[in-house]
Amino acid sequence: MNRLIPLTSALVLAFGVSSVALAQKDNGNGNGKGGGKESRGQQDRGDNGGRDKEARGGGESRGQRGKDWDDRPAKVRVPGAVRDVTREGGGKDDRKELHRVDRRDVDGDVVIFRRHKDRGLVNGCPPGLAKKNNGCLPPGQARKIDNDRDDYARYNYLWRMRGDNGDYRYRDGYLYRINRQGGVLGYLPLLGGVLSPGNAWPGQYDFQPAPRYYSQYYGLNDRYQYRYADGVLYGVDPRTQGIGQIAALLTGQQFNVGQRMPAGYDIYNVPYDYRDRYADSPERQYRYNDGYVYQVDPTTQLVQAVIQLLT
Amino acid sequence: MRNPMNWALAPLIVLSLAACGDKTAKTDGVATATPSPSSKTLAAAIDDAGDLDTLDGIIDNAGLSGVLEGKGPYTVFAPANAALGTAGGDLSGDAMKAQSAALLRAHIVPGALTRADILSAIARGGAGGVQMRTMADDLLTFSKDGEAVVVTAADGATARLTGDEMVVTNGVVQPVDGMLVKAR
Repeated sequence: MNRLIPLTSALVLAFGVSSVALAQKDNGNGNGKGGGKESRGQQDRGDNGGRDKEARGGGESRGQRGKDWDDRPAKVRVPGAVRDVTREGGGKDDRKELHRVDRRDVDGDVVIFRRHKDRGLVNGCPPGLAKKNNGCLPPGQARKIDNDRDDYARYNYLWRMRGDNGDYRYRDGYLYRINRQGGVLGYLPLLGGVLSPGNAWPGQYDFQPAPRYYSQYYGLNDRYQYRYADGVLYGVDPRTQGIGQIAALLTGQQFNVGQRMPAGYDIYNVPYDYRDRYADSPERQYRYNDGYVYQVDPTTQLVQAVIQLLT
Repeated sequence: MRNPMNWALAPLIVLSLAACGDKTAKTDGVATATPSPSSKTLAAAIDDAGDLDTLDGIIDNAGLSGVLEGKGPYTVFAPANAALGTAGGDLSGDAMKAQSAALLRAHIVPGALTRADILSAIARGGAGGVQMRTMADDLLTFSKDGEAVVVTAADGATARLTGDEMVVTNGVVQPVDGMLVKAR
């Protein structure tokens, strides 16, 4: 009899675990045909529903200057077939839900964050420098940048990552693009340079207000307004305009339903907590980027759904 | 054969393990490993690692420790002390904070990339390798050279994955034997 106990336990263990494994596998591939109950985000989103409804909508233009906080949650565009994987809150009818998720799309399928080819380089003269025929600096100052400090010059290779064949020099927290004569063509405030905690946000530097979704996803403090610029999410004190926090690094890549995935997302990288639900299969791939999971058709590489991750 | 019941249990144990493996190893032939992360963050794991002191200093100098303690997830390709060479030694002090941040961004990609994920993608991706986007907006290409996984940056810098990966709460640390930016 004693020998039957371990045998029984083994049987229970074997079939029990198998059932769990199969159930999870089904979840991962099923994409929630069950009316959104699978969405972990729903439970916590309920706490924020009021705020979302109170969102100060208004203009949809991206990157509005002077508007430090985008009170709208980031939205996702999801086709009907997979809409339930991102459904938030029960009781909404499909049409309302579809309208809600479409709100993210401005000028068609365009995500809120973007990364300019020139990475936000500010054309023209930096503060305090007058425009001259030879760029922004008088010849003496131009030579000063051109013959930069040796320790700075040693790392000029870092700025070649920008990939635009520009000639860049670093000085005093800014990256300067200079012409052949040494004049400044444009400049860029840098993370770790001017864009560091304790410094004021540069007045001429454009940014995009971060959607509330980002503060929720990254668990950010309400003390700051969050601004996106050139792949970085910054927390800025609304009273002083001082940078208080480097909140997150982002790729700033554009993804939209119906578009082909851009290069650079070949490897499965979904956060651990979501791997059971968003597991790759021959029918679907899942890739993570900047707080979202993207469902992709493995054959066409077209984005099928953009999924918020709130747990 | 002293205990025949042990043999009788063997297929059941295999069945149990297979069931566990089904969850953690493959789904319909596509690898989707679910690793068990340690309780550390990326910042803590790099801080504690014996051969990543230089990188740890660069992270501190860049002011990005908080980001690597945050939610993420990120995968940090972490050059060992020797791999950073003189570059690491010079990147200290306020004057080099921007350079430190720029160097780091070239070594960080979004999401959690385990070595199993990378190998699986390379196996599916063919000879041309597979790519990931960095936080510096460049592409890293992953390929195999024998048993080694080689990472090639857009500017031609190459490194190999070395040592053991560190799977942590907010991502993965993948030690590499070189910088992913060509110092030229």
